[in-house]
Amino acid sequence: MPDEKVLERKGFLGLVTWAIGGLISLGLGIPAISYLIGPSLQKPEGQDWIRLGSSKKVEFGKPTLFKTTIQRQTGWIVNDEEVSAYIYTEGGREFIAFSNICSHLSCRVRWIDDQDQFFCPCHNAVFDRNGLVVSGPPPRPLDRYQVKIEDDQIYIQGV
Amino acid sequence: MVVKLTDWLDERVGWRSIWDNVFKRKIPYVNWLYTLGSATLLAVINQGVTGILLTIYYVPTPDHAYDSVQYITTQVPAGWMIRGLHHWGASAMVVLSFLHMLRVIFLGSYKYPREVTWFTGVFLFLTTIGFGFTGYLLPWDQKAYWATTVGTQIVAVTPLVGNWLLRVVLGGAELSPLTLTRFYGTHVWILPAALLLLLGIHLYLVISIGISEMPKQRE
Amino acid sequence: MKENEKKQYLERYKKAKQDGVPWYPIILFKDAVVALLVFLFLIALAYFMGAPLESRANPADSSYTPRPEWYFLFLFQLLKYFPGNLEVIGVIVIPVIVITLLFLLPLLDKGPQRHFMNRPWVTGITSITVIGIVTLTVLSYLEAPPPTEEIKGDSVAALYTENCASCHGPSIAVPEGIDLHAVIAQGTHEGMPAWSGDLSTDEIDSLAGFITSPGGNDLFKQNCQECHQISDLVASNPIDLNEAIDQGNEFLPHAEVKIPAWKQVLTNGEITELLNFLAAPDGQRLFAINCASCHGRTVAYNEGEDELREIISQGGLHLEMPSWRESLSSAELDQLAAYVTDPVANSESKDLFDQNCTSCHGSRIPDSATIEQTRQTIASGGAHETMPVWGDVLTDAQLEALTIYTWEAAQGTSLEIGKTLYAENCASCHGTFGEGGQNPARADDIIAPISSGEYLKTRDNTTLYNIIAQGQPNFGMSPFGSEFGGPLNEEQINLIISFMRFWETNPPVDLPPEVQLPQDINLTGQEIYNTICTQCHRPDGTASAPLLNDNDFQENNSDQNIFDSIKNGHLATPMIAFGSLLTDDQIQELIEIIRQLEPELTESSITPSGPPSFSADIVPILEADCNACHGTLGGWDGSTYNSVINSGDNGPAVIPGDAENSLLAQKLLDTQETGTVMPPAGKLADDVIQIFLNWIKAGAPDN
Repeated sequence: MPDEKVLERKGFLGLVTWAIGGLISLGLGIPAISYLIGPSLQKPEGQDWIRLGSSKKVEFGKPTLFKTTIQRQTGWIVNDEEVSAYIYTEGGREFIAFSNICSHLSCRVRWIDDQDQFFCPCHNAVFDRNGLVVSGPPPRPLDRYQVKIEDDQIYIQGV
Repeated sequence: MVVKLTDWLDERVGWRSIWDNVFKRKIPYVNWLYTLGSATLLAVINQGVTGILLTIYYVPTPDHAYDSVQYITTQVPAGWMIRGLHHWGASAMVVLSFLHMLRVIFLGSYKYPREVTWFTGVFLFLTTIGFGFTGYLLPWDQKAYWATTVGTQIVAVTPLVGNWLLRVVLGGAELSPLTLTRFYGTHVWILPAALLLLLGIHLYLVISIGISEMPKQRE
Repeated sequence: MKENEKKQYLERYKKAKQDGVPWYPIILFKDAVVALLVFLFLIALAYFMGAPLESRANPADSSYTPRPEWYFLFLFQLLKYFPGNLEVIGVIVIPVIVITLLFLLPLLDKGPQRHFMNRPWVTGITSITVIGIVTLTVLSYLEAPPPTEEIKGDSVAALYTENCASCHGPSIAVPEGIDLHAVIAQGTHEGMPAWSGDLSTDEIDSLAGFITSPGGNDLFKQNCQECHQISDLVASNPIDLNEAIDQGNEFLPHAEVKIPAWKQVLTNGEITELLNFLAAPDGQRLFAINCASCHGRTVAYNEGEDELREIISQGGLHLEMPSWRESLSSAELDQLAAYVTDPVANSESKDLFDQNCTSCHGSRIPDSATIEQTRQTIASGGAHETMPVWGDVLTDAQLEALTIYTWEAAQGTSLEIGKTLYAENCASCHGTFGEGGQNPARADDIIAPISSGEYLKTRDNTTLYNIIAQGQPNFGMSPFGSEFGGPLNEEQINLIISFMRFWETNPPVDLPPEVQLPQDINLTGQEIYNTICTQCHRPDGTASAPLLNDNDFQENNSDQNIFDSIKNGHLATPMIAFGSLLTDDQIQELIEIIRQLEPELTESSITPSGPPSFSADIVPILEADCNACHGTLGGWDGSTYNSVINSGDNGPAVIPGDAENSLLAQKLLDTQETGTVMPPAGKLADDVIQIFLNWIKAGAPDN
């Protein structure tokens, strides 16, 4: 019957039309969903190793200040954040990395070579070369970072 | 169960009569050139969906616009695709609506009784051009900035009111953060509103009057 | 179109509809297929072409050639044909006409004909317009100018401009051999801050390079900046830098990079400039990078500067290590080898390394791979250390800087060691400054000063050596030389001698000029005091002599003490034994005068006269000691009079007239009930606190 054939063809075309509609919806919908839930998939911060520079620049027995800028991403905004750390080594084998931020009120501490100590100008806090509190108000020693040396480059982690 | 639900809905919404009157209605047999209109509609839907998604991350200020666009492109999952679809969709919308318009001209579809459909169509085309021009500035990259600088200067050539018009377009004496925000506002609120209104009339007229039949040379 | 034509059309259309097909699914299917194709095409474009994004908009960049989106290009091209005053035609007139015609099309073409062959005007004009648009677009693409390349910024010059240029101007002339890194880091001269707190070591290095070799900065920008950050290259190993430049593409890290053979592109002078820029002629840094790995902190070196320059320049096998198996046991060799190979795990052998190796190796432990190899090297000794021929590696400026630094550092070292040796072995009898004193070995005997010019000038080094090595048994000094059973070897004794010689040019104590004695000593006590005593005991505190009106002096010395001091004097100081000049009566008279000095000058110098002033007395203290935090961190704000009195979580901080109950005073005195003492580092000086108390007691005036 020609009528039946026409009906069959119509049914098929209808099906294909709906299928195409579904396909286009999926084609837009799947990317849209992953796009919307994107931020929840970002990895947490502070896990990266940050390269500071050559380990040869560290002077023996004297904490050496290294500075570098890292990029921290908050959403789409990329902040340039300056990371500084004092690297200390006794014999060039083992390295210690200190934060240069006073554990009291987050002022920047400086290494005073003459007096062999870190000094915080805000409240006259003094730390020794191992970052331990000598005098002043800080509640704990200077923070330390994980440190590793690869190909003569110093990397720190945990900033 | 499904039958029950569809019946229930039909009693309240009357979708069957819509279905019969709109979808099942008979229309003259037309060739593939007549698909250009719905292809343009697809481009419009694509622009709408991807455009809305882009506003989720985009920030229309000079210090964030570029970074947020870059972030969308490189960091957000599928962001490259959403932005890619929007970018190329814009071109597609211009091309398809232009071709659609040519089809209407060459096949004489603008004639009685479809003159109003044509008028709305011309306005829709101008709206599309407006979308293209305002959207171009939003990524705030070199191309966007300088093309818009040149593009808006064209307005100033208008006799008598040129400079005043330029200030209206730019929101000031020169291309500034104010230009970006007004282009953004135009792109996502004013033009879409105009588009929806015009498109509604356009589609209503196409369905109620019916699509034009293929003209024959000897009539 | 006439009414009958309209009717005709409607009838014809009705018939076409009846002969037609249902919209769904026949026609809609076509629409869906085309829509799908368009969508897939868009996805393909997005995937393969991406969405272009150029560099950030830069309004200052006038070199950029603007181009509109492609579908406006035809309009853009059209403008080129309407220069000057005609622009209005291309920009306004033509588009307005086209859009108007387009809009009015159904009203202009009202005929019943619908087929395009039957409407030649519309078909013709439309076709011409389309062809025109396509042609203009193609032309626009063909005439497009080539894109311009982006230029990277000059980071080091920016660093210089930001930090140095405001005082130093566009360039600084630096004398040869100066340790520029140290100058920048420590800020040695007036008004120049110590930059080490604000700039990284890399930044200081690049500044030093920039200042000493500005041309090198330009060369760096031209040749290296495309791949290298300046911070990656500054103060890198000059050996590597030389190899990179010498070998061009054959330098291993450069193998995959498209670079020219530097030797052919750059002149020798340019290479020198570039090297000076990258490894600044800065002795300390050069030493740290090139020498410290073998030599430790400094080289112990006593010869002249020229010999040192020659050694560094020539390099070679200058180090002869002894064969340690002759002096160490087998077990000790094992321990030492284990320590050198893995110092962390074998830290108990550090002493062994310190005793035997640090004099040459410094504190840096040599790199070594296996214990066996290390043990072999230690045991057999020999010329195992080869110094590079630095003369070939370093530029002249770098070599000069390194030599001067090493030599000066070596000078300082022997002096430091000598000082330590003196302190350990000699100071207990001779005093820290060689001033002598009571002889502990023999009662009633005084050891004469050995740091006086008179003593040192009359004894040459051999004499001094013999005295130290053999001792002076007659005076109770035991022999110190190891050959006579003492603790010091020859080198150590020489180091002590060179430390003592240092006294000749730098007297250990700040001696005032010789005391001037009047011809006629027959004076009254007051006259003696005025002419003789005040030569050294001045109230302005410039002399090292004790202030006689000082409370400590007055309380800690009995009259008898003072009498003895004047009569017998103090050895090795200008306080001579005045007993040979003055009679006992005159001395007694002096004591009375000295005792009368007491009541003056002790109180009044501290308490300010008149009522305390807020602006003159209080504000300076607030600014110096409080406002670093208060005013920025919230809470009490010490910046204005009102905020001093009223602000803070527990304000008002000051109750005028009532110091005891004013929180400000309590915090300063550490008598507060809430919070901690201020400043947190510890109380201010008592007299400073007194100023605050006086001010509050006076009603806290705002004057």
